[in-house]
Amino acid sequence: MILTTDSMKPLYVQIAEWLEGEILNENIREEERIYSQYQLAEMFTINPATAAKGLNLLADEAIVYKKRGLGMFVSPNAKQFILTKRRSLILGQMIKELVMEANRLDVSESELNRMIQQVRKENGEGQL
Amino acid sequence: MSVIQCEDLSKSFGKIKAIDHLSLEIEENKITGLIGRNGAGKTTLLKMIAGYLKPTSGELKVFSKEPFNSLGVSANTMFVDDTLAFSDSMTLVDILSNVAPFYVNWNSSLASGLFDYYSFNPNQPHSNLSKGSKSTFNSILGIASRCPLTIFDEPTTGMDSAVRKDFYRALLKDYLEYPRTIILSSHLLSELEEILEDILLINHGTKHLHLSVMELKDLAVGIRGNAQAMQSFVAGKEIIYQEDFAQGSVYVVIRRKLVQEQFEQIRQRGLEVLPVSTDDLCVYLTATTKGGIDDVFKRS
Repeated sequence: MILTTDSMKPLYVQIAEWLEGEILNENIREEERIYSQYQLAEMFTINPATAAKGLNLLADEAIVYKKRGLGMFVSPNAKQFILTKRRSLILGQMIKELVMEANRLDVSESELNRMIQQVRKENGEGQL
Repeated sequence: MSVIQCEDLSKSFGKIKAIDHLSLEIEENKITGLIGRNGAGKTTLLKMIAGYLKPTSGELKVFSKEPFNSLGVSANTMFVDDTLAFSDSMTLVDILSNVAPFYVNWNSSLASGLFDYYSFNPNQPHSNLSKGSKSTFNSILGIASRCPLTIFDEPTTGMDSAVRKDFYRALLKDYLEYPRTIILSSHLLSELEEILEDILLINHGTKHLHLSVMELKDLAVGIRGNAQAMQSFVAGKEIIYQEDFAQGSVYVVIRRKLVQEQFEQIRQRGLEVLPVSTDDLCVYLTATTKGGIDDVFKRS
């Protein structure tokens, strides 16, 4: 992953989202140890304090938990939690923006639906 | 614990006040970026911390001692800038071997590793190096000395962008392995902010801001769009920076917390909310010139 400094998203949020992605695609499984702040700092050439803040973001949501003296581990059900969160928050926000942009461009609701279905078809997901 | 403490510190050169009643603390084992415009007093401050210059008034403590004429501070401090002078009779490899005994934590394998990586010629005299190569060689001394307080004054002057990236990465990797207090002064905040923890912004010899990079990133946002639509959001609020474009379009930089709750409304009005780079923000915050460069051309 390449971090961007010119995004509205702070670096530590990008780190947290990258880690969530690693949990979603099961590169790190539940009850496994997650990268330490120092490993993340090394991987992305960032200050370890920034990496720690990213990890703390996940700890605040109980996606990871601390084992005293052993580091941070992925919580059971973390994957399901991230899925639910992303569906409601991130997808919800994207759809809001999509609808706003469609309105700005005078795209009707049925036209918008048709465009979504078109993309799904091209991706081989068939029609709902 | 703080490694550097200064209280009401001033330094004058004749009638010019380079540092003007500056108070600050720098904590142990943090990487701090010292940022400021040309002539802000960065080098003067760093040279006082390293013990090269004597303060005119006020108090300065480094490792709880006054750094000027202190052997203890000098043994624990590394100051790297582009004016490091070495005898012409010494080759690069001579310099490395002669510098080593002065620093107890000197890491000779790291020094020779970096030396080989940058493909230096061991038998070349220091004075023959190009500007960029000099900076690169000096940065090896700065990293390998592993001093509890390591100061780099404009370390990347003349380095090409590949070497600059390598330098930042080498510094960060060695810091992770061997944490110490590091101060970097630079004009190019955008390329080093990722490895920094704190930023110290000085202006006219005084402290303007001292906060974490994360806080600086969250300090301001830019809003761009139609001036009339903008009015209701920015009226009565302090504007950090403003730039007018053609056809009533305007770009405004404002404190993030003042409009944090209104992002959605702002976007619905057809305005854009944009991040402000730390580089630009520091320039806006310390603006000394009236208006922008464009105004110079309007007048003539």
